[in-house]
Amino acid sequence: MVEAMNEFGVLYNDEARLYFQTNGFLETGSLNLVTGIYLDYRLLDTLFEAGILLVAVSGVSWIAQHDHIEHNPLFMLDRFKIPELFVSIARVLYPIVLLFGIYVVFNGHLAPGGGFQGGSILATALLILYYIDLNKKTNLTRIFFIEKVLYLLLLLISSLSFFTRGFLFTNVVSPDMGVAWQSVFLITLNVLIGAKVALGLTAIFIAFLKEGR
Amino acid sequence: MNPYVTLIIILVGLYGLISSTNIIKSVFMATMIESGVILLFLNLGTWNGGVIPITSDVSLAIVDPIPQALMITTIVIGSTVTSLALIISIKIFHHHGSIEWKDLKR
Amino acid sequence: MNILPIVWVFLPIITAIIMFMVKPNWIHGLVFPLQAILLLLFILYIGHLRAFPEDALLVFGGYADWIGISFYADALNLTFVGLTIVMFFIIMYYSFKANRKEKKYFFFLTFLEGVFIGLLMTNDLFNLFVFLELTSLLVTILIAYRKAEQSLKAGLQYLLISSVAAMLYLIGVMLIYYLFGTINIRLVAEMMSTYEDTMLMRVAYGLMMAAWMVKGAVFPVYAWLPKAHGVAQSSISALLSGLIVKVSLYLIMRLHGDMFGQPYGFDQVFFVLGFVSGGLGVLFAMTQKDIKQVLAYHTISQVGLMMIGISFGSGNSYVGGVLHLLNHALFKGLLFLAAGVIIKVYNTKKVYEIRGLFQTMPWTATLFLVGILGITGAPFFNGYVSKTMIKYAFADDALWMILFQAINVGTMISFSKLLVMFTGQPKAGIDVGKSSFRQHLPMTLMAILMLAIGLFYQPIIQTLYGFTAYDVHIGSLASLVDYVLYFSLGLTLYYGVIRKDAKPFQQIRDFTISFPSLNVWLLAVVLVFLGLTLR
Repeated sequence: MVEAMNEFGVLYNDEARLYFQTNGFLETGSLNLVTGIYLDYRLLDTLFEAGILLVAVSGVSWIAQHDHIEHNPLFMLDRFKIPELFVSIARVLYPIVLLFGIYVVFNGHLAPGGGFQGGSILATALLILYYIDLNKKTNLTRIFFIEKVLYLLLLLISSLSFFTRGFLFTNVVSPDMGVAWQSVFLITLNVLIGAKVALGLTAIFIAFLKEGR
Repeated sequence: MNPYVTLIIILVGLYGLISSTNIIKSVFMATMIESGVILLFLNLGTWNGGVIPITSDVSLAIVDPIPQALMITTIVIGSTVTSLALIISIKIFHHHGSIEWKDLKR
Repeated sequence: MNILPIVWVFLPIITAIIMFMVKPNWIHGLVFPLQAILLLLFILYIGHLRAFPEDALLVFGGYADWIGISFYADALNLTFVGLTIVMFFIIMYYSFKANRKEKKYFFFLTFLEGVFIGLLMTNDLFNLFVFLELTSLLVTILIAYRKAEQSLKAGLQYLLISSVAAMLYLIGVMLIYYLFGTINIRLVAEMMSTYEDTMLMRVAYGLMMAAWMVKGAVFPVYAWLPKAHGVAQSSISALLSGLIVKVSLYLIMRLHGDMFGQPYGFDQVFFVLGFVSGGLGVLFAMTQKDIKQVLAYHTISQVGLMMIGISFGSGNSYVGGVLHLLNHALFKGLLFLAAGVIIKVYNTKKVYEIRGLFQTMPWTATLFLVGILGITGAPFFNGYVSKTMIKYAFADDALWMILFQAINVGTMISFSKLLVMFTGQPKAGIDVGKSSFRQHLPMTLMAILMLAIGLFYQPIIQTLYGFTAYDVHIGSLASLVDYVLYFSLGLTLYYGVIRKDAKPFQQIRDFTISFPSLNVWLLAVVLVFLGLTLR
């Protein structure tokens, strides 16, 4: 099996894979080892990935703002009409996609999925709403505010493990308290990340759609 | 996918960056390079008989979960970079009325 | 106590978010207590590290260090972190009054500080990639902040080329993980000597180094730097030239020096590239007519000088290169900030339209003059110390010494052009009230620091690096005479040759590399590096 992973005659270094195979489930409490990695072993990467979404949302909305110094703005929105068929199908699709997104977020630690994947699906669901009604009013300031509160909550919950276990950025509950309690932490983080990603991607899309107006 | 095929994707992306005169094409080629690198990374540690790493059985030989976890982060980063590049391109179009690289020199 | 490095990373980020969420504008004043707290924590951590040196490695989550993410502190990155805190304080103080109503400006700037400290402290290759992309994104937004035509274009080019370079770096990380099974820099450095030299390792090395060439604006992939630094706001230009472009040198020292152990004779490659970069930088800087472009092209040349110093790996030249890094942050920052004030007051960027500086703004003019003295290497200032120390290793080799002195003369020529601004009669209608005391205070601080490093360099280097620098004879008559001679050579060359503005110089001034050609150069660099390593 390991010989099959031979590239250019050099053997693949197997140590990390064996470590996760034997200890992954015991230490993190999640069946999905990939979720275990990005929510426990490498939680810091995830925090900054959520951070980059935050920065991108603010950056895109700042650059997209209309400044009255442009020479020939050409807004696509003024000459775009949504077909009726799309609106009808979208009305059926919206609750299905929403439900599926929530399912993927909640089951991130048991099946393929997780915060980022489920968040993208949720964002798709929210964007269908925008396609149905192009002039939908949104309060972007409120979205930004909620997003930042979510990020601060994410930071807070990730650092709680410093007080319960003495190490930063790992599971609040230690492995000997059982898988059920460990999953609470994983589900909470997945929900926060999913909500944050959904709001962030929706905000970026709104900035593109409204083109600064 | 075969690692050699993904190398071809990356090289095509690099060639596209060199030869595209259109700003949107350059952004798209940069995205293509990112996708190529992500696919190349996902080739690590997998083989044809491996088990998906969603199991609590310690005796099954799982594929390596670390490249997959790293690539989740990379995909998000790639998409945010693309979105920022695209919004800047739209603003350049609003300013200059043209979307070619050579029309931007004053 | 040993978790302080991560506190340095998150404290600015949390402050940035709080500043964005709270509505009133006086909350922006929060940046100053933030910097004070950071400085205090920094000093506390250094004291703690002296007492408990095993606390330098901080692994998150309590896992084994080859599985989890870790931060590592040593003399190299701690000096950078100190420089970061000082530079950000200066920039924030300088731009506070002009931007005090703009929430997003402070949000991005403070977030950048946190992310940059994280980039310096991290010990994990993939974490480095995440921080690198975050820095590129934030720097792009700050370059394109005013949304003028040229800044949007410069920002876009920087973002795209930076992203491609980061992807090349990521392929290198992937190959390292394939070979070693871990992406912890210190562990890979320890394991490197026991591993045989395979083709994959060479490809990884070549790709990583090509990525740093782009980020550091070394010849031939330097074209994004004059565009980006020339059109950004002055405070952002100072930050970019002073700090952000140096991170590539730090990473070369980390990856090429510590992790790979200076392999494949690349020391010579960096040495030669440093000279080429240095020479081309001053050649371009001599011919420009715009103040900021002169300063921006000159940064390329100084980064080349730093690479010359760093390529030696140890000894006087190496410490000279690292010291030049700190010094250049100070004097290039001072020059950009002073240029910002001058441009604001005179309302023009062209050098020949600005006259009579000593009459209208004597204090700013003195500070600008101090910056010029520092950057050209006058004795008693810090530039002299670092340039003399860099020369140490090849002082016997005539060819390189002549080239090095030629680069120095080139520096003096380009700054003689700026000396023109001090004399003559100013145009009518200059409103001096546009500058404020708040902008002069940080610049004065930088000038004082420059003088201090120049005079007391030996104890400073001793505490920072535990290295006894050789005596550069600051007070000797020979060095003063040397400097005056070179400066007069520079002045005569300037008035005799450059002032005439002959055809070749006009062509050099208008020489720009478009974005597709920049990618051609990038591909060329990647192929050349791969060819050099795989031979």
